[in-house]
Amino acid sequence: MDLRDQRGIETEVYQPAEDSELLAEAACGYLDKHGRDGPEATILEVGTGSGYVANRVADETAARVIASDLNPHAVRQARSDGSEEGSGRGGAVETVRADLVSPFADDTFDAVLFNPPYLPTEPENEWDDWMEHALSGGEDGRAVIDPFLAAVGRVLAPDGVVYLLVSSLTGVDEVVERAGEEGFSAVAIADESFPFETLTVLELHY
Amino acid sequence: MKESLLDILRCPLDKHELELEDATYDESVDGDSDDGEDAAEVVDGTLVCSECGERYPIEDGIPNLLPPDMQEESPA
Repeated sequence: MDLRDQRGIETEVYQPAEDSELLAEAACGYLDKHGRDGPEATILEVGTGSGYVANRVADETAARVIASDLNPHAVRQARSDGSEEGSGRGGAVETVRADLVSPFADDTFDAVLFNPPYLPTEPENEWDDWMEHALSGGEDGRAVIDPFLAAVGRVLAPDGVVYLLVSSLTGVDEVVERAGEEGFSAVAIADESFPFETLTVLELHY
Repeated sequence: MKESLLDILRCPLDKHELELEDATYDESVDGDSDDGEDAAEVVDGTLVCSECGERYPIEDGIPNLLPPDMQEESPA
């Protein structure tokens, strides 16, 4: 019996945890504060996983919310409503199966949210399934964050912002520096400490 | 997917616009309400790049816009 059977749940999709909650809370608060929560606003969540964060934003703002993920199981769950059971109401979030921001038009989003895979993982410990994709950030924890930072500017509207969750395990300073190389200024808008890591939400803007 | 999503989707390879082909619509969604035809829900079809001709399937209402070399179901 494998872990999936023991837990009796879907383990192909990362389920909401403290990091998801922190990102959802911080992003909703700041979207409201900066008037990016109206019906004209278009918001993207990259790597949405269960869809929890995207659905929270859709519930708490009037914005149009798009959610994308590489994982077909994730986009299906995000589309149903973000819960494992699915409430059947569905439809608040528009979903796309995508690699980061590659299939979106230039200058489109007022905000892009991302809770990336960030755990530093030695190559010999990579385990090669959808959960690994959801968690592992490669050797330095930034294997997905760096290409995201390089690409996200293209799809941001003028005055658009990025809300990026970063862990102390990945290195907040390193991510801020990398973002700076791509032309972004970074401000920490929320953080929360846990026994093994501190989670920070960065707001990035040009 | 809502047909209006087409406005912000592009070919992941060359960022050109996509055209919807062979679309099947969800008849239970009233395309004439509020947002007009843009609210129409596409459950099946293909998105085709207007420039390079690359084809992207819409599966169970979800467009799969992964680049061709990443299209397979397997995570590896």
